[in-house]
Amino acid sequence: MEPKFNIDRPKISDEEIKKHQNFEQLVKQFKQQSLNKAKHDKSWWKSKKVRYSAVIAGITVICTVSYLALFKNETKQNTTHETVITQNTNTQNTPTKKNFISEPSQKLKVNYTSYKINNAKGGEIKHPTSSKIKVPVNTFVDKNGKDIIGDVTIEYREFHDAADIIASGIPMTYDSAGTKYTLESAGMFDIKGSQNGEPVFIKKDKKVEVELASANSENKFNQYFLDTVTKNWQYLKKDDQLSILKTQNKSHEKPNDIEANPKLQNLKNQIDVVIPKKIDSVKFVYTKKIDAIPKAKEPSKINKPTPGRPTFYLEGSYKEFPELAAFDNVIFEVGPENKNYRQEMHEITWSDVKVSEGPVKGKNYLLTLTYRKQVEKLVVYPTLSGADLEKAEKKYQQKFKDYENLVEKKQVEEKRLMAEMEAKQKAYLAEIKMKQEEFDKQRAKLIAEFKQKEESQLASNFNAMSLQTKATRLFSISSFGVFNSDCPHAEPTGKTITPMFAINDQSLPVNPDILYMVDHNTKVVYNIAFKDGFKITYEPTNNYSLCIFRNNKLFICNKDQFKATTNKDSNRFTVTELPDAADNLVDFKKALEI
Amino acid sequence: MAINPHFHHTNEQINEELIIIEAAKQNPERFGPLYNKYYKQIFNYLYQRMDDKDTAFDLTGQVFLKALTNLPNYQFKGVPFASWLYRIAHNEMMQMFRTQKDRRAINADIGDLKYICEEHDEPFFEEYIPAIKKLLLELDEEDMQMVEFRFFEKRPFKEIAEILDITEVNAKVRMYRIIEKLKKSMSKLKL
Repeated sequence: MEPKFNIDRPKISDEEIKKHQNFEQLVKQFKQQSLNKAKHDKSWWKSKKVRYSAVIAGITVICTVSYLALFKNETKQNTTHETVITQNTNTQNTPTKKNFISEPSQKLKVNYTSYKINNAKGGEIKHPTSSKIKVPVNTFVDKNGKDIIGDVTIEYREFHDAADIIASGIPMTYDSAGTKYTLESAGMFDIKGSQNGEPVFIKKDKKVEVELASANSENKFNQYFLDTVTKNWQYLKKDDQLSILKTQNKSHEKPNDIEANPKLQNLKNQIDVVIPKKIDSVKFVYTKKIDAIPKAKEPSKINKPTPGRPTFYLEGSYKEFPELAAFDNVIFEVGPENKNYRQEMHEITWSDVKVSEGPVKGKNYLLTLTYRKQVEKLVVYPTLSGADLEKAEKKYQQKFKDYENLVEKKQVEEKRLMAEMEAKQKAYLAEIKMKQEEFDKQRAKLIAEFKQKEESQLASNFNAMSLQTKATRLFSISSFGVFNSDCPHAEPTGKTITPMFAINDQSLPVNPDILYMVDHNTKVVYNIAFKDGFKITYEPTNNYSLCIFRNNKLFICNKDQFKATTNKDSNRFTVTELPDAADNLVDFKKALEI
Repeated sequence: MAINPHFHHTNEQINEELIIIEAAKQNPERFGPLYNKYYKQIFNYLYQRMDDKDTAFDLTGQVFLKALTNLPNYQFKGVPFASWLYRIAHNEMMQMFRTQKDRRAINADIGDLKYICEEHDEPFFEEYIPAIKKLLLELDEEDMQMVEFRFFEKRPFKEIAEILDITEVNAKVRMYRIIEKLKKSMSKLKL
């Protein structure tokens, strides 16, 4: 069929296009289509593999039923023993548990520490974190309920912070009567016992006491046991047997303490106070010296009278004005600034005339004329004529020469003093620079020493909490498993976003296999569910880190990166990949800023 | 020629799309931003080549459904996601013409026809319209598509190349040949 040719067909409006745009409908259609496909797709049955598997499964079912029918009585006799051990098998790695507790990375594993304890003697185990495990005599039985003879291996590990919790893979969600909470932990431990690879159990009337070292001394926590069958934490009791340690075992130097180092403080004092004061005092001294250099006074020049300007001639002596005394006939010219000058003033025979200093010293004078009550003041300029003028000019030339010499001398001396002052100041500035370098060097050395100390402490036993232990929490346990001192937190109610992750603007997205969000304010670790499209809800006032596991790689979005994104209302988070070499629990903690 | 700016993407935009695509592969509900971004473009592309508006809307929905279904197979080739959508749209549209649910339509403005003449150094008069129509209808589907892309939709060669999955040079060569062909025909018609 030949195409139809339309010329200038009316365009469809944006509004009309928008009306047809329905994403929800599309998703609905997509889901329905997927469902229909699953329902109607029977091709799987055509696969030989599937058919053979079904036949084998059928035969297995028949054999099992027959076996149960034949050995029915024997099974009944064994039931009593099985009941004894059911309570304790929770701690074994059953398939259920394996799925329920899933460590996100093998590299971040929190390892068990093994201890041997003689069942007949009992005893006390001291863990490096300063936790204690107290085992009474004859506590352990085998799967048949018989007392264990000989040594029992106790495997024990603790989890104290967000990094430990993430590494453990232990879910921290708690369902209380249908309400979901996430647990904030004040310390969690996992304990199990065995003999020759076979699990052992705690006797019914016995209890093992665990004094768990805790970095949190608050009294708001409860004790929980992780039930791997119901996949929920079981509330045990209020965590009230809390002994708060009065003194910490060791004071742990913090980076801030480095600034208090006496050598650093002395250097800082030199840089900030002592040397700047010296610089100021040099300036002060030299300013005074410069001021003390005698100032040259420019001599005044006496001119001849300006033609047309009114003048006064006075008879008398000028004792008070030696510069005028040398001349016999000084004529005072009335300055143009005198608005009160009138011609009639010349007609008056003034009873008193005074000459005093004018507004510009040496240049003009104030002539005060008095007649009875009338007083007139005029600014006048001395002028000379004839021989007097010549004489005055000669004198002026001489004086001006002297003046110029003096000015030159003054300038030379000033320059010399300034140079001297600057050299001294320069020397002090150099001293500051030197001290600053010494300070930086010393500080870097102290930080390096501190870091080395911290790293060696962390590396030797990263979860040895002895330095931070603030309290011990007492657990009386009647079975092995995971125990926790926890405080439930409701889900955040702030902002909800669907996050996207990338290493930088140019990189491909990082899509999480597993996503954790750490609230640094509440110390709660949220395992973000994939089913919600990894949606996160956060309180804008709190500090968070995100931890992404993708294809056995670990990516961190630290507190600053998180804030940088949320502050601009974006959902695109920059993440940093933890290098393979640094892919261990110590570096993980550092990356999470714990 | 004023080039249609819709298609041009910065690396950042392409990366942003990729993030959404990767997320949507896991959760179709995260496909929303791409749907909203490209719905109008895809509809316009289809409606430009179709006669019936409602069929064009239906087909647009179908294109996105197909895209969502096949998203797990999508592989990034360094070009905007739109080029993949255009290819789906083109295939779906051609399928529709084969089943004769709608007929192929060529929609041009007078301005577009005038532009074709100018490109061939020929003057344009309204009386020429039937002749130009005739010329264009003589083109095969592939050539017609090139004319639509270049003259009616004012797409840059880079974009045309990406939609048709050919090189930019190839797109230019094809266009050159079409222009030559049209020139010849025009001189025959003594336009």
